[in-house]
Amino acid sequence: MLNTADFYHVLRIDQTSNSLREEIKEHCHTDIEMCLECGKCSGGCSNAHIFDITPRKIIQLIKVGEEAKLLKMDALWSCVACQLCVDRCPSSINIPRIMDYLREKAYSQGVPASRPNVELFHELMLNNIKRFGRVPEALLSVEFNIRSKQYTKDAEMGMKMFFKGKLNPIPARIKNIKQVQRMFRDIPAQREG
Amino acid sequence: MNNSEKTALIIGGGLAGLEAANKIGGAGYKAILVEKEEQLGGIMKQLYGSFPRWDNPRELVDQKVKMAQENPNVTMKTNTTVKSAHKKDQTFVVELSNNEQMEFDAVVLATGFDFYDASQYGEYGYGAFDNVLTALEFEAKLKEMESWDKEDLPQVVAFFKCVGSRDRSKGYPYCSKICCMFTAKEAGLMKDLNPDAKCFVFYMDYRAAGKEYEEFARSVMEDKHVRYVRGRPAKVLPENGKLMVRAEDTLMGVPVEVAADMIVLANAMIPAESTIELAGIFGAKIDQYGFIDYIPGHPTQTGDRVFFAGGCGFPVESLGAQYQGAAAAADVIALFTQD
Ligand SMILES: Cc1cc2nc3c(=O)[nH]c(=O)nc-3n(C[C@H](O)[C@H](O)[C@H](O)COP(=O)(O)OP(=O)(O)OC[C@H]3O[C@@H](n4cnc5c(N)ncnc54)[C@H](O)[C@@H]3O)c2cc1C
Ligand code: SF4
Ligand code: SF4
Ligand code: SF4
Repeated sequence: MLNTADFYHVLRIDQTSNSLREEIKEHCHTDIEMCLECGKCSGGCSNAHIFDITPRKIIQLIKVGEEAKLLKMDALWSCVACQLCVDRCPSSINIPRIMDYLREKAYSQGVPASRPNVELFHELMLNNIKRFGRVPEALLSVEFNIRSKQYTKDAEMGMKMFFKGKLNPIPARIKNIKQVQRMFRDIPAQREG
Repeated sequence: MNNSEKTALIIGGGLAGLEAANKIGGAGYKAILVEKEEQLGGIMKQLYGSFPRWDNPRELVDQKVKMAQENPNVTMKTNTTVKSAHKKDQTFVVELSNNEQMEFDAVVLATGFDFYDASQYGEYGYGAFDNVLTALEFEAKLKEMESWDKEDLPQVVAFFKCVGSRDRSKGYPYCSKICCMFTAKEAGLMKDLNPDAKCFVFYMDYRAAGKEYEEFARSVMEDKHVRYVRGRPAKVLPENGKLMVRAEDTLMGVPVEVAADMIVLANAMIPAESTIELAGIFGAKIDQYGFIDYIPGHPTQTGDRVFFAGGCGFPVESLGAQYQGAAAAADVIALFTQD
């Protein structure tokens, strides 16, 4: 039987909470009450075609405090932080910063990502930054393929890039790796519980 | 001194300045109007049609110019502006750009507004693509298109509102007040020229607060079949000889595209540099943006013996510009009568 609640879900907007909006104001230095609801962000977003919830709607959901929905949305993991939306937004709403914040929150609360392996990728990437101060693509790809058991994924493209000199198989550390490591020590991004 | 020799200087020969000059002259005082351009009439003289009654804007200014020419108390000096001025007791000693020196007992600023530079919105391609025009340029284009063959007329025209208005990032936070209406008008006029053309107006809100305004805007949608799409366009990219507009239809929450032949930008109306300069010269008040500001309780007055009317105070439609011109004139006349 059809569950009508799935497509006609009534929001009790008099019972919503402001806490997420306030957290975002504090952590992302962006006030979503300045949003004009114009849709310029969604219209120009590089990845909106694969977003389950598009940027303007994300802002709207923050307004009504739909935190649970936001933490499990797939868009969290498809935003490429290209900054196009902020650049064009008439109120400079920093959507990629908000995405970062929500992603960290979802991760730390153990909300599972809707796609396989995105957390693994996130974890490996951060680990690489911790070790090398940058992301050595070759190493990251190999690590990712092994841990996600997709041993030959993108191997052909990887070889092509290697022969064009676009992929360095030996990871190099940045000069000031101590600084990066200090950053990681100062902001421990650990899962709760 | 005989009161009737009192003289007012009106700076700006648009609709507001002409109205003020005609009324001051009509009351028997002298009115000297200076206009920096060769032609009188300001913006109205450059328009193709007008809201909310579809009448001819050029006829209206021509009528006002004719009244002024026929009034012996009104003198109009085109290609002229103010170079400098200083106050001597109750009069302004003014040097004009033609090096004439004259004395005035009151001043009316009627210098109109300027326009936001639309090329600051890189994503809309103004200046980069030929067929992206400002609303004012489009009025001239409408005139030009009257003589085009039907097959040369644009088939798809997209109108973008609030370009540089309601934008705290790249423009001005305020609403420019009249662009919703003139955009409706321009889209309607495009449909009159080519009823087969598809016209899309991208909007955040449509603001039609004024006598006959709502009816006007609705008639553009319902009788002339202009399509309104709620969403502020995100970008314009050339594609196969067309201009591809990308936006979100925020009512449906889906991305939409329009392959347009022409794009018209309603760029914000902003204070003119020369107005700010004149405000300094005459001791007029300006607001946080640079528009002339009023003295509380005196809506047409901005300084001692200094009044203002029309777009130099804030974007205003032609009827409002005339009201303001007449109101500033009434204040000047009252002042001269008391002197
Ligand atoms: C694209 C567009 C479409 C519009 N369509 C409509 C419409 O359909 N209906 C409607 O009611 N209104 C319309 N308007 C609004 C209308 O144009 C204004 O209400 C009207 O022009 C205001 O008159 P004004 O005299 O205040 O300013 P302006 O018309 O701008 O006149 C100001 C004059 O002052 C002169 N000037 C400026 N600085 C100086 C100086 N330092 N010294 C001497 N002279 C100076 C200028 O050259 C100009 O001639 C439209 C406006 C635009 C931009
Ligand atoms: S572009 Fe900015 S103001 Fe417009 S809907 Fe998106 S976040 Fe809101
Ligand atoms: S930063 Fe993220 S949300 Fe913003 S346009 Fe890029 S992909 Fe879309
Ligand atoms: S009048 Fe309309 S188009 Fe102009 S700034 Fe206001 S809302 Fe935007």
